[in-house]
Amino acid sequence: MKFRYFINMAALESYVNHTVGIITADGRHFVGTLKGFDQSLNLILDDSHERVYSTTQGVEQVVLGLHIIRGDNVVIVGEVDEAIDSRIDFSKIRAEPLPSIVH
Amino acid sequence: MLPLSLLKTAQNHPMLVELKNGETYNGHLVCCDSWMNINLREVICTSRDGDKFWRMSECYIRGITIKYIRIPDEVIDMMKDDLVMKTKARGDVRPGRNAPGQRGRNTPRGSLGTRGKSGVGNLRQAPYSKNKNN
Amino acid sequence: MCGTLSSVDQYLNLKLKEVTVNDGEKHPHMLSVSNCFIRGSVVRYVQLPADEVDTQLLQDATRNEAEKNVSR
Repeated sequence: MKFRYFINMAALESYVNHTVGIITADGRHFVGTLKGFDQSLNLILDDSHERVYSTTQGVEQVVLGLHIIRGDNVVIVGEVDEAIDSRIDFSKIRAEPLPSIVH
Repeated sequence: MLPLSLLKTAQNHPMLVELKNGETYNGHLVCCDSWMNINLREVICTSRDGDKFWRMSECYIRGITIKYIRIPDEVIDMMKDDLVMKTKARGDVRPGRNAPGQRGRNTPRGSLGTRGKSGVGNLRQAPYSKNKNN
Repeated sequence: MCGTLSSVDQYLNLKLKEVTVNDGEKHPHMLSVSNCFIRGSVVRYVQLPADEVDTQLLQDATRNEAEKNVSR
């Protein structure tokens, strides 16, 4: 039990206070600062916004603020390289919204 | 910083809870537990498509059905203050290490007394720490 | 999605480094991400480069494990 705890805790420790992109089971994409997490992968996301993708217009960024995302809803936690991120022109990006996870 | 401690800090604050089925619940947090089960008061429930609304004075949500919770930004600042206070408290108490551990943690927090709406945990501990101090 | 595997735990949660997205056009979400953590329960499959899997080592490990179980 203890072993699992440490593995998981170490896994995300390096992302804390960094900008992260979260993809959730319902196919949504959140971006924000990772402030904390626990062994069940519940996350604290600060200054977050949601990026809404569409095929007909650019990415819409919806400002949301402080979030607690429940671990079982998390699919990917990605560390965002802010240098690359700031270079992306989101108004030009077109993409199908992600489908939700099927188990 | 743990998500569940943040949630505890958010007690008495308004919040938005989205469930896995897409329903959202807006209300003030009354209490929560370590499974993220939560008690809300003055709730407005919105259906998945956002076309139906229900008002209820109180509701209980099972943690496992939650997708995410949106809480006001200031809660994280409160949490930071709390952390600083705790570290400070721990530093102050260190010399008297032979005192029971529980006491060290409770005494300074009580004396600073800025966090009236802390957690259920605090409320439960309050009488205990009082006995210790007297 | 492609990357260098840096660690795995017993839930098959994966941690990848130097990630690249195979079809950036279709999935631009992770374009700016270089390191990531993937929840094991959502992974369908992991494709490994065949020549980098040390089958000999794997077989030995499996045999050792099997022997251990027999002696028990």
